[in-house]
Amino acid sequence: MPGRPSDSGDSLVPFSPEAVGPVTHRVHHGLRSPLFRVYVSWSRGNNLQVACIRPPPPDSETLDGTGAEGPEEEIGGKVVEVKLGNGEGEVSEAERRRIAYGSVAPFALLQSQKNLFAASSRMPNSSIRTEWWHHVLEYSNSISNLLGERKPLPSAVIEDPKMILQPGEEPKSLKAAWQLMEIFYVDKQVSSWLPECLVDWLADYDSLLTRTESTIHTKISSLQKKLDTLKVFEDDPDYWEGLSAALAVGWLDTVVKLLRLHGSYQLDQLDSREIENGLVEAVAVLVSTMPRMRPDLPPGRLGQCCKTKQEYIKAWEKWRGHVSKLESSAFWVQCSHPETRDGLRNLLQIMLGNIKNLTVATCHWMELFISHFLYIRPFTVGLEGMQNLAQKCMQLKPSSNYNGLIRLLTGIFGENPEVVLAECSKSFGSWMVVHAMELLTASSDNFGILLHEERYNLGGISIEELHRLGYAQVLSSHPLTWQIAPTYLASCPKQGLGLLEILLYRQPVQNYQLVLKTLEICRLYELENISSSIMKIAGMCHWKHGRKGSGVYWFQQAGDKVSLDRIAQQLFESIGKSVSDDSFKQWEGLIELLGSDVGTAGGLEFLHKYRDFKRSLHLALEGRAVDAARQSMQSLIQLMRNPSTPQRFWLPLLHDSVTLLNWKPQPLLNVAETNLLLNKLQELSMAKLRPDYCDTNLPPQALSSVRLALAANLGRAILEEC
Amino acid sequence: MAEPGDLRLHRYPQSKSVDAVRWLPSASAFGRLVAVAVHDPDADPAAASALEIHSLSPTQATSPLCLRSSWPSPSRIAALRASHLPHNPLAAAAAASTLGGSLHLLLVDLVNGAVDTELSISGDRSFHAGPVTGLDMQIGGGECVTAGEDGRVNVVGAGEGRMEHRRVHDSNGLASYTAARWGSPAEFATGGVGFGVRWWDQRKPEGLVAQFKGSWGRGSVTGMVHSIDIHPSRKHICIVGGSSGTVFAWDLRWQQQPILLSGVGLNGTDQPVSESEVWEVQYDSYTQSSGITSAPSTKILPVMVCSEDGILAVLEQGEDPVELLAEPCAINAFDIDPQNPSDVVCALEWESMAILSRGRDVVAIQ
Repeated sequence: MPGRPSDSGDSLVPFSPEAVGPVTHRVHHGLRSPLFRVYVSWSRGNNLQVACIRPPPPDSETLDGTGAEGPEEEIGGKVVEVKLGNGEGEVSEAERRRIAYGSVAPFALLQSQKNLFAASSRMPNSSIRTEWWHHVLEYSNSISNLLGERKPLPSAVIEDPKMILQPGEEPKSLKAAWQLMEIFYVDKQVSSWLPECLVDWLADYDSLLTRTESTIHTKISSLQKKLDTLKVFEDDPDYWEGLSAALAVGWLDTVVKLLRLHGSYQLDQLDSREIENGLVEAVAVLVSTMPRMRPDLPPGRLGQCCKTKQEYIKAWEKWRGHVSKLESSAFWVQCSHPETRDGLRNLLQIMLGNIKNLTVATCHWMELFISHFLYIRPFTVGLEGMQNLAQKCMQLKPSSNYNGLIRLLTGIFGENPEVVLAECSKSFGSWMVVHAMELLTASSDNFGILLHEERYNLGGISIEELHRLGYAQVLSSHPLTWQIAPTYLASCPKQGLGLLEILLYRQPVQNYQLVLKTLEICRLYELENISSSIMKIAGMCHWKHGRKGSGVYWFQQAGDKVSLDRIAQQLFESIGKSVSDDSFKQWEGLIELLGSDVGTAGGLEFLHKYRDFKRSLHLALEGRAVDAARQSMQSLIQLMRNPSTPQRFWLPLLHDSVTLLNWKPQPLLNVAETNLLLNKLQELSMAKLRPDYCDTNLPPQALSSVRLALAANLGRAILEEC
Repeated sequence: MAEPGDLRLHRYPQSKSVDAVRWLPSASAFGRLVAVAVHDPDADPAAASALEIHSLSPTQATSPLCLRSSWPSPSRIAALRASHLPHNPLAAAAAASTLGGSLHLLLVDLVNGAVDTELSISGDRSFHAGPVTGLDMQIGGGECVTAGEDGRVNVVGAGEGRMEHRRVHDSNGLASYTAARWGSPAEFATGGVGFGVRWWDQRKPEGLVAQFKGSWGRGSVTGMVHSIDIHPSRKHICIVGGSSGTVFAWDLRWQQQPILLSGVGLNGTDQPVSESEVWEVQYDSYTQSSGITSAPSTKILPVMVCSEDGILAVLEQGEDPVELLAEPCAINAFDIDPQNPSDVVCALEWESMAILSRGRDVVAIQ
């Protein structure tokens, strides 16, 4: 129970008593108040899932079938993810969705390639692996581009010598974390110059290491601000501090730029400070020719590239020789400016890898860690070695709290994919876990086995599937992103399809465009039974809201015999009743809608014939045309003969045609036909005695009037035929 | 499939759903305006839907879109049309119908992109009850025809400070209309479920003149009509786009023999350009190189279509379709700039819009 801060010593989660005041998180559910229920449950990482439910609508209105629906159906509820903790609030919801959309295509491509590879598993395993990481790298690059490109601002024609820090967009930790995973897990090419990759990584993302403590980046940026006002740089201790810091993490161009700002370069002072200037320049040259174990350098970066280890060792020793030679040179005594002398010698000590100087020059342990790669142990390989080194650096530079990026890094060093995933989830959300898992599985078979193994405690699914399902759930809860959830659900072998079906069922059916989009997904994943269910639901919705045409259309599309039969049954109700012209039109229209093709559906055949009968009856009664009268009598005979005509309609049918039976000009039925009708009438009177007979709403004398009319007709017919 | 030629595409993420797009006529050489119907389900329901006017600088593709004004709509916009005004070159009319059954006529100032005047029919149960997805406005901003899912067809005229509607037909729900298009000042076409197309003439007492029930042979697929277009020089032919990738031409002179331009069942060998919903069709005046006047009146002019599976293509009778775009997400709507037909604006499913500019090469293919 929260509330009473218990003794923090034995609590599972360290509880800091300094936490002041409750933190408020706003839940943007977008629903109209009042809310009926709010359910809160844990989601992945430190996300809470809040389900907001509105009260059920009163069923009094809009359901009577005649009125159309109100202005836009209200959403009944919504599930919102709330991120707890001070986390990286740098990615807005819209940006998150943009990333989600953009990552669908690379993810789907990678999955299909994976399936392709799995299908051609006859290929020797090694060649698959070597080829495979190229695909993953391609995937990683497209995701990385999505997370934001560091666009350098258009460089000025004349470079400002005082611009030591390239201004650009704020780097994002999401991208920093992604790059880190790519460096360690995917790019097999870089394994031999991994340390240099980390140096580059730090140069890009140093500002993200910590938000509360100072970093070299904060130091350099405050120095940058100071440069505009400063007259004599070399007298300021910040200048030298900045220099040593930048050198310690290998920002060589910054170092050289700063050195060239040294006062001894001033034309008026060159003569008096010749030796001093020579020393500064010598250090600058040494810095800019530092050997680096990497294939190439981006333009503008300094250093001397060495592709192979031998080449590097040779260059390194030569360079070190130069540095120590300068260190022990006699010129230092002649240097009259004490700050310059001490500052430059400090730089030389850094280049010589003096741990004391490096520790002083750096702020964060990560920076110290990187400086080890540059100046002390350039050949550090293997995660174990890195971890030992990192631990050593952490002891030298302890910090009170580590952010997600640092925790991720330590997880990577620990070679524990579960920790890495947990950190991804905790700090960067479910999107990151799902997409980064592809990088992890690419790195080693063991990780793949670990993540793909089906686990009893997860309900028989793998870790990979669990995370994908979680991410798909987040996507499904937003009305704009639900359409991309199927891509992820489809990659879940165990429960994906089941959840996909639920997701599709849950889509609203009021908007026909949305229904068609849902059906399109059904088509893609070959879920015929789901699509027919959705069409039935849509049909029912439209029917109930008085859009009979759409309702019947959807029922027909779904092949929903039951509903169509029920509609036909409703149409039967009006048989024999005297109906107004308008409702007959409506009735006729519905029969038209039901179409002739559905002949097998119950009594539709009867309905069509009845419609024809009723129509000609109308004509006959209005126009008194013999043809129409004859026609309607023929329809009557057909109807009565047909076994599919229900018995309960016999009397209404006959009663409808009493006028025609008494047709003045001539009898319309012959003897045989009249006898048939009389027989039917007799049958009907017998049936009346049975308990299951259902009475019609006709007047009580209907039977006798029909009988009389038939008898009269029979008499006339006999006379006619004589 | 023919080469798409020189195409430039620029995407503009909107961070909300883009439901409909229309070019507005340009009043000056310095900028063009696009009317965009947007919907943000995360926002407060009262402010969730809007019609936004964006301006686009004429100096080519990479220029950003700039939001000029936003008019809040009471309900999500289902259909959008725009037209120039013959008596006022500095303003344009935009008509928007909504899922809530209302119609709004906006006067857009073309100089600053602001919405000046608004006329509405809203909350009137005698107008439409339910979504109005069929909407068209006469060229020149005259009368509007609306056809709704409730089965009503109305003609709306703008009077002095208000709009007046006249019901042409009410099917009492027996038919649902999803598309409408003017053919002439008195005639228009509507489309609905089951590929049903109807031709109406206001001068006739009944209104309904001809109808096509969407059956061109047994066993063929059926579906909904999403869009109709009628060329001003060929008023007797309706181009219809609908479900299952179906695009057909319905000629009033041969009502029982529609010409299938694309779709399942065109013939066994041809791959249809799309098998999913064709959300919009428009005559593509850019591809009409051979000249409208010289072509026989029976020939179907080139048509541009967009589909749920992300295809934007130009179809021409008897030729292979030219695919202009194949997006990973649905293209829900598009509009060809009437003044500058090489440019097409598209509404993409994934909360963005795109502007496609076609170079000269496309013409050369013809």
